[in-house]
Amino acid sequence: MIAPVPGPERRSEPAIPAEDRLFSLVLALLATEGGLLKSDILSTVRGYAERFDRSGANVNLDRQFERDKDQIRELGIPLETVESPDRPGDNQSLRYRIPKGQYDLPDEVRFTPDELTLLGLAAEVWREASLSEDSQRALTKLRALGIEPREPVIGYAPRLRVRDAAFEPLRQALDRRQAVRFEYFKPGERAPRERRVNPLAVVMHEGRWHLHAYDLVVDEPRTFLLSRIVGGVTPIAGSTFDAPPPGIQDRVIADLAELRLRNAADLAVTAGSDAEVRLGRRAIARDEDSGVIRMHYTDAAVFADELAAYGPEVRVLAPETLRAAVQARLHAVADAHREPEVSR
Amino acid sequence: MNAERPGVKKPAKAQRAQKAPDKLVFLLSLVPYLLERQVVDVAEAAAHFGVSDDAIRDAVKLIATSGLPGATGTYQPNDLFDIDWDAFEDDDSIVIVHHVAIDDAPRLSAREAAALIAGLQYLTALPENANSASLASLLAKLDAGASATPTRIGVAETEADESLALIREAVADGRQLEFDYRNALGIAGRRRVDPLRVLSQDADWYLQAYCHTRDDVRNFRVDRMSALVVSDVPIDEHPGQVVPETLFQGSESDLDVVVDIAPAALPLLADYLADSTTTEIDGHLRVTLRLAHVHGLKRLVAGLPGLVTVVSPPEARAAVAGWAEAALAGYADAGSSVRDGDPAHPGDR
Repeated sequence: MIAPVPGPERRSEPAIPAEDRLFSLVLALLATEGGLLKSDILSTVRGYAERFDRSGANVNLDRQFERDKDQIRELGIPLETVESPDRPGDNQSLRYRIPKGQYDLPDEVRFTPDELTLLGLAAEVWREASLSEDSQRALTKLRALGIEPREPVIGYAPRLRVRDAAFEPLRQALDRRQAVRFEYFKPGERAPRERRVNPLAVVMHEGRWHLHAYDLVVDEPRTFLLSRIVGGVTPIAGSTFDAPPPGIQDRVIADLAELRLRNAADLAVTAGSDAEVRLGRRAIARDEDSGVIRMHYTDAAVFADELAAYGPEVRVLAPETLRAAVQARLHAVADAHREPEVSR
Repeated sequence: MNAERPGVKKPAKAQRAQKAPDKLVFLLSLVPYLLERQVVDVAEAAAHFGVSDDAIRDAVKLIATSGLPGATGTYQPNDLFDIDWDAFEDDDSIVIVHHVAIDDAPRLSAREAAALIAGLQYLTALPENANSASLASLLAKLDAGASATPTRIGVAETEADESLALIREAVADGRQLEFDYRNALGIAGRRRVDPLRVLSQDADWYLQAYCHTRDDVRNFRVDRMSALVVSDVPIDEHPGQVVPETLFQGSESDLDVVVDIAPAALPLLADYLADSTTTEIDGHLRVTLRLAHVHGLKRLVAGLPGLVTVVSPPEARAAVAGWAEAALAGYADAGSSVRDGDPAHPGDR
């Protein structure tokens, strides 16, 4: 049937699609043990070879190869460079390869149909483009195993949003272990202040995204609310850092949970109100007669915002700092919405 | 109507134009799948990967003519994939008869593994994930399946809500559910519903259900429900009933409110934007929000203190001011009553 067309005849064909070139490149780099020189790749691999000029500098093709390499690595494919032992530092003698042992999904990573169903639902959690694309790609890779998931979980539509603009640049910085700077509007301060940090982990705790980072100015770890990062997150050129210990995000989550348990507030809630029903669910103690509940909270500023929304349905009894914070918020809202007095 | 649930339309699969990296991942995943299956129909492969039959056929044709440049750099037949072309063209069946370079699934990238891990951690809130041992083993597999340490992103586990377990049971069994519900207007009452599905948005969980009390599909906040009872009565059919895909929908009785917001707060109000028109005034953005009623507005604005100010209509401004002032008055009144001996704090007992 269709005879594969060898090199020279292909020159007259229309341009080879990008996925065809990338696929051919991955195959070639997986099949080599010692690695391929860039000149080998550009002159023989499909998608490059058709455009290779034996007498020219091949500048465009060279750039194409650099972009392709980056794209392949972004997909988690371990594309390596190997220096020539005789000529260290010589870029022309660098060899490229994809070690098969680090490319293949390890044998112990196999999934049951139930697990695949759950992973499918986990992927549905994300609606933001980048996280959704990443999880869909992960599912495509796992489909390679040929396991059919059990029937999809009916009747669930869970959704976790990422509304903070700082999330995506921070996620990149985490992967690249890249120091960044940003303006941070700390609750209680009058103006944002610049921070320079090594980002270590990003975690969701009590419905908010937090950044755990090493603050390069105060020389100590700090935790930031992503919603309080103002403006952009900018990489600090040339400043990278060592990988934090594995599982650091779990420790950050545990620390935040512990911090939450250290703070308790006593609140008077109006009987039959939204506050009584919704806050009451999270109460750790309650006095039915007086309508007083006790709740844990992590951050006084964040909790004060939440309590202010309930207006007259909730009143803070203790601690005094939280009480003052809620009152200050209510004053700000009342002042901003009161009509100016008209003198008659 | 729909076999899945009466009246529930299946969400249309988002059809994004695939980019080259996505197509590459598809090719790299399709090869090991075809090798594993040995003989597979185009339609079955398409269903497995959730793509069209033509997407499978195109990919198979590409794979069948791909391979290695070989020693001579000329892509000789022995260095190429090959398929049973007769089976493919006559029976729409795929059989790889010769393969090169790849035979196994590719590892996940750090980002891909992290996206699934964090998504799974979020799902710990579901009652069926209460068995955390199996979840832990699944998380460990994703970790081992990544080619680099998964991006350090984590989602704190939330305790599965008791009501959610009952709701889940009712949804799964197709049985009616009864509960007390206090809506945002503060009106309470007993509701009888046909549960359709459980929706969530971040930390908030909702039941989408056909309400027999209101004769319409409504979203109920799980944390506003109490005294839940799963009844023995099966849910009714609701042919023709349109079930909204999103949590918040506008209606004609809605209230349009003009507000000034700090630019950074715009994403927080995305659900309520009436249109995409924004005007910049003195460093603030002026936008129009659409809400069901003023009761929702006053809670929304008071919960974003200093970030949102209502400009018009005047009754909306007054409602917000009144809400905050009533709260402050509560503190003023309580200030004097403390001396008379306020009720004891829960912890004092």
